[in-house]
Amino acid sequence: MIKVEALVKEFPKKDGTSFRAVDEVSFEAAHGEIVCLLGVNGAGKTTTMRIFSTVFQPQSGNAWIEGHSILTEGDKVRQNLGFLSGDTGLYARLNPREFITYFGRLYGVADGAIERRIEDMAKLLDMHEFLDKKLEFLSTGMKQKVSIVRSIIHDPPVMIFDEPTAGLDILTARNIISFIRDCKQREKCVLFSTHIMREAERLADRIIIIHQGKILASGTLEALRGESGMTDLDDVFVFFVNQAAEEIKVAANEF
Amino acid sequence: MNFKKALIVYRKELLELLRDRRTLFTTIILPVIMYPLLFMGFSAIMSRQSSILEKRGATVAFQDSLQTRNEATLAVRDSIFSGLQRLDYVSALPSPPHVEQLYKDKDVNAIVTVSDSLGNVGPAKYRIKVRYDASEEAGRLLFGKIEKSLTATAKNEVAARLTKLKLDKQLIDPFRIDPVDSSTSEKKMGSVLGMILPYIMILTLIAGAATVAADLVAGEKERRTLETLLVSSATRSEIVLGKYLSIFTVAMVNVLINLFSISFSLRFLLAQSGMGTQGLQMPVKAFLILLLALVPLASLFAAVLLSISTFSRNMKEARTYEQPIMMISMLLGMISFVPSVQINNLLALVPVVNIALLFKAVMINEFTLAQLLITVGSTLFLDVLAIWATVKLFNTEAVLFRKEDDSSLKITRANKRSFFNSFYGLVYFALALAALYYIGGKWQSKNLIYGLEQTQVFIILLPVLLVLRLLKLKPKEILRYNLPRWQEAALIPFIAIPAAIVVAILGQLVNLIFPYPPEYIAAMEKLFNQDVSLAMSFFVIAVLPGLCEETLFRGFLIRFFEGHSARNAVIISALLFALFHLDPFRFVPAFLLGLLLGYLTVRSGSIVNSMLSHMINNGLALFIVTFAGKHWLKPLLSGKDSFHWWVGVIALAVFVVAIGIFHKITAPREVKQCAE
Repeated sequence: MIKVEALVKEFPKKDGTSFRAVDEVSFEAAHGEIVCLLGVNGAGKTTTMRIFSTVFQPQSGNAWIEGHSILTEGDKVRQNLGFLSGDTGLYARLNPREFITYFGRLYGVADGAIERRIEDMAKLLDMHEFLDKKLEFLSTGMKQKVSIVRSIIHDPPVMIFDEPTAGLDILTARNIISFIRDCKQREKCVLFSTHIMREAERLADRIIIIHQGKILASGTLEALRGESGMTDLDDVFVFFVNQAAEEIKVAANEF
Repeated sequence: MNFKKALIVYRKELLELLRDRRTLFTTIILPVIMYPLLFMGFSAIMSRQSSILEKRGATVAFQDSLQTRNEATLAVRDSIFSGLQRLDYVSALPSPPHVEQLYKDKDVNAIVTVSDSLGNVGPAKYRIKVRYDASEEAGRLLFGKIEKSLTATAKNEVAARLTKLKLDKQLIDPFRIDPVDSSTSEKKMGSVLGMILPYIMILTLIAGAATVAADLVAGEKERRTLETLLVSSATRSEIVLGKYLSIFTVAMVNVLINLFSISFSLRFLLAQSGMGTQGLQMPVKAFLILLLALVPLASLFAAVLLSISTFSRNMKEARTYEQPIMMISMLLGMISFVPSVQINNLLALVPVVNIALLFKAVMINEFTLAQLLITVGSTLFLDVLAIWATVKLFNTEAVLFRKEDDSSLKITRANKRSFFNSFYGLVYFALALAALYYIGGKWQSKNLIYGLEQTQVFIILLPVLLVLRLLKLKPKEILRYNLPRWQEAALIPFIAIPAAIVVAILGQLVNLIFPYPPEYIAAMEKLFNQDVSLAMSFFVIAVLPGLCEETLFRGFLIRFFEGHSARNAVIISALLFALFHLDPFRFVPAFLLGLLLGYLTVRSGSIVNSMLSHMINNGLALFIVTFAGKHWLKPLLSGKDSFHWWVGVIALAVFVVAIGIFHKITAPREVKQCAE
């Protein structure tokens, strides 16, 4: 499971001040649940997820992946985490088998287990014909399948998908979406980010609306609809963004 | 740190590199085919050169311009001509018509003209003019042959004259030169190889490392694979280690393949040319030492290039940053071509140069264990530093995730719009340094004292004031021309004097290991023992530098680097100050002094503190040199002008207390300044 407490991430700006990309973010996500971080580009989704994967260190706050703190137990956090994004590259001169084996070994998975898992996944995702071709010759869809297998080669309990369908064609995107559903069925804790409302609507058990680094609202789709009085998720989203802007205005006027 | 994971990274990188045709070509295939082709080309050209005369032959026109024509002169003329006729591949024509035209058309390659006795006194003397084209290889070869023939004829003529005078013919040869070469064939080979090999080894080492380094991190950033790797359970240190080992391996493999290819081609060439390889043995033991010494250098290059790759956003940027490193390394490696430079303990500290010179010394088996250890040790030290920096860079998210809109060099970034940015600071410093070297040096070589004064005022002080004037900036504010509080100023002697003593004792310690060369000491003594009054010396050595150098370094240049932090500004200005002395022996003392002076100025907000301190520091040196012989100074000194070590202990204690008080009493001002 994922537990996040008051996470803050700031980046230094050129003029010496700093930019707060993630502002006091807190939430939880449990096993067998798909949680969606919904927000426009630059809302802080990727930064938040990079903190979970220990690529970034937060200024304050903490998060736990399967009970391991991202601040002090980076190794264990990464061991329990599968990470997939829409635009990751692959090593062009390796073939899928070598590529997946490389990451499997880095995660400390035994060679025999890696082989078995590749076979299983290849059957499932129909990858046999290109398992031994160099990655540079594969299509985007094939590459994305390879990335999927890479992300679960160590059978992590928590999966994080950062804009997993960004830049993919419809057929490839479908593969990913069915894979995310599959993860839920296997009782994994799934967190994914998107700016596409339909994707959130179709997949998520709970939606967290994030804007300018802050969480504006969170809950099931039904709860959010109820709170906002809107039915379409687009309208729901805009409602919460406007509400936040109003609050800031009010706060400013009180001074 | 799990070494196994580093090895997994290492194996994968090597596998990828082996599949990269470009890497494979430059590190393995190119050297294997390049040297044989190159050497064969050379040998073809060389054999062609020597056979030019044999194949084409040459024609020499022989002209007779004798005035006095008697039996004796004609006999000499004939013997000269027959000497020329006897030359191999050369035909000699006696007085052909239209000789000028023939020479122009190259039907005749040289014209030998014999004319008469020069002067009427003494035995007959002939003048022989040889016209040839020295710009052509064939012309030079022909001249060599003609000269040899003429010398032989002359010798015969002398012999004839001696016989006539009834003297012994042996008189012509008072000497017989009998060269006995004591060098072993190993040493002979070593001295030749010692010149070329270091350069080739260093060149191939860094070239090999550079082919792959850019790809390993910057390439991963560019292809968006880095994040996947970071998310895996390998730690950053494991990733760095794996990648570093890959670069190291490629660099070493590249060197070995190049060396193998060179030695193979050389042997082939020698065998073919019939010279034989007997006696031309590669000194095997030397070779093994070299390979060992090469390991830390390979490791250093690997770490430096990896840190560049880590810092760069993409491969193109990485290649750009690699260029200066490669240029500098190659230039430093060329030191082995300079015949008179030999390794010593001091040069053993300079990276790349030390390895190049050590190679040279090892090849002729003239090196000490200390030199080997210092070379390996200092390279290893830098190596560890570079690896540490790489790991640190790899852990800095701002570096690993630099965005496209960041300007590429971080130091040029701070306050790009304001005049006081790091880039302009470095440009100003470079200009001042050039002026010091070219103009100041000239002034000082004319008249040392006067030249020093001119340098301080016209190169160091006035340009600063002029620049501020042009930019309409307030000198008082920018240069911190503020009066210090009396407590601060009163503390300065208690800071400056002990500091100077401690630094002097450090210098003495260094001198034990790396003695100053005698010419350096002589130059220093010359500076302090000028034929001028003590007051004048004090003015030139202490007062002027205190005013002018402080204005430049602690007043002006330090301002360019304050964008990041005051501490960085102090360190950078101290570094520039040390460089400005253009003197490797004074680099460390000047740097330490620069740190202190920078601190005093920035901390107190008054440059007067550092001016006073600088004057005291320089004045003290003058004082010691001037009064070293006096009995009242004797108890402090051991030897001519070095301090006893216990003086250093006292000085250090006084310094620590004084600087502590200074730090305390300047604290409130610091806060006030920040608030401003």
